Amino acid sequence: MILAIETSCDDTCAAVVTEGGEILANVISSQGVHDRFGGVVPEIASRHHLEGIGSVLDDALTRAGASFEDLDLVAVTCGPGLVAALLVGVASAKAIAAAHRLPLAPVDHLHGHVAATFLGPVPLELPFLSLIASGGHTLLARVSDRGPEFEVIGQTLDDAAGEAFDKGARLLGLGYPGGAALERLALDGDPEAFAFPAGRGMPGLDFSFAGLKTALLYRIRDLGEGETTRRRADLAASYQRAIVEALALRATRALEQTGLERLAIGGGVAANGVLRSRLRELGVPLEVPPMELCTDNAAMIGSAARFVEPLSYPEYLDLDVYASGERRFVRT
Amino acid sequence: MTILAFDTATRATTVALSTGSAEPVERRDDPARGERPRHTTRLMPMIAELLELGGVAWEEVDRLAVGVGPGTFTGLRVGVASARALAQARGIPLVGVPTLQSLAVNALACGDRAGTDVVLTVLDARRGEAFVAAWRVSDLRGTSPGGSLSGRPAGAPQALVGATVAGPHALSEIARRVGPSTLTIGEGAVEFREVLEPSGVSVPEDDSELHRVTAINHCRLARQIPDGDLAEVRPAYLRRPDAEIALDK
Ligand SMILES: [Zn+2]
Repeated sequence: MILAIETSCDDTCAAVVTEGGEILANVISSQGVHDRFGGVVPEIASRHHLEGIGSVLDDALTRAGASFEDLDLVAVTCGPGLVAALLVGVASAKAIAAAHRLPLAPVDHLHGHVAATFLGPVPLELPFLSLIASGGHTLLARVSDRGPEFEVIGQTLDDAAGEAFDKGARLLGLGYPGGAALERLALDGDPEAFAFPAGRGMPGLDFSFAGLKTALLYRIRDLGEGETTRRRADLAASYQRAIVEALALRATRALEQTGLERLAIGGGVAANGVLRSRLRELGVPLEVPPMELCTDNAAMIGSAARFVEPLSYPEYLDLDVYASGERRFVRT
Repeated sequence: MTILAFDTATRATTVALSTGSAEPVERRDDPARGERPRHTTRLMPMIAELLELGGVAWEEVDRLAVGVGPGTFTGLRVGVASARALAQARGIPLVGVPTLQSLAVNALACGDRAGTDVVLTVLDARRGEAFVAAWRVSDLRGTSPGGSLSGRPAGAPQALVGATVAGPHALSEIARRVGPSTLTIGEGAVEFREVLEPSGVSVPEDDSELHRVTAINHCRLARQIPDGDLAEVRPAYLRRPDAEIALDK
């Protein structure tokens, strides 16, 4: 049995997963305290992780019907993410593992998102193209085996896709985090009402969403307050369409370039219905994990841990965290 | 009683193991001024090293003690998260030791240093401020180096000045109030020497061991503090997050 911990952003997560990829417990405690700040505040997130992690761990073990004595491995996200937040999870994981002399698997958060597709009775067949899009990251990867060394073939040069949703939502007065609210508003709008840039002219597999946000800002200024309010749904639908097209376009290019025949998506943006249906049109089988495995969770970390070389006691006692993703990726 | 104690509130990482009536054994890491703390990478290896050295298995640890600050936020969280997880994973009682109080116990090592009635403890709070608290030395006596508590009621001694954040002006006010027979110690005492000494208190040499937070004192205090719910052992931040303060403005 694997106990997994994830605290890289603002969700305090613990899960118990078997070596075979069965989820026995997957506990997610969302902080919901950052909305009034318009974004996740690292110091506040870290304080909440510390407050919550003990009961989240208890909860996960109880639901799994397990005790610390039943564990074979402890897994934890070491990065990328907010350093102060990651430290709460890593300190807890090291202590639990050391207290029972268990091995510890250091897991990369993005490997976790990819590994969400390895859970369940029928894991996706290799190789496949993985599109991870969330508030923290946006990337395309060629996944040829289940280990952490998957090949990142495209990534965002500025904002993440989820960030673009949230920033657009804020410009439209939908508050933070506004991705889901924007999607709801867009249901009543015309996605072709406004032409927002989807980065068609930008070659390659990398993403850029900063220009899109600026385009929306200018359009709102041009329209003026009254007209913006009247056409909010159209703005939302057109803006959403641009993000979805930017993602779909690069996924198409990536499938062509790599010859891969399967596509898996993950990350919070994978919840977006318009994105899902657009990607289903690409002509390859699309794997979408259940929602609670798309957004940040610890079950995916436990899943990834099965394909990581674990560190045995006492090798991991000096383990540190890392903020950026450069540590574990091969870039081509 | 076997007690494992550690503190990560200051730049230092200090771990101590107390078995039976013997003097506690300490491992510590002291980054130089300006160097980053190494709590994350040094704490657990030093804990493992001390347990190994003492031939102590986890099931033999009767009590854990962790410094709850005030101090650096990230350092405090590393210490408290580690302590709670160890306690949770092994079912060991945990107590939170106020770091300033543990520091104050250093004053007892001076013996009956003539004219020292009060100990003022000062830690660097950055941004030109200090974390500060004061005790009457006589009130700390129950925490004698031998660990004997005979004749003293359980519970922590009452502070003369409760832990607070102070800028230079407030700090000199506090120093004046506690009077000239005050021993002033801690890395913050060194940092604010120019403010403190003109206010009449005495600050030992910069390199004096009296300025160091040591988990050996935590071991002593841990006997006096009752343990309770793990979740109640939390950092004494003393400062709200900047984002919250900014939002209120
Ligand atoms: Zn994520």
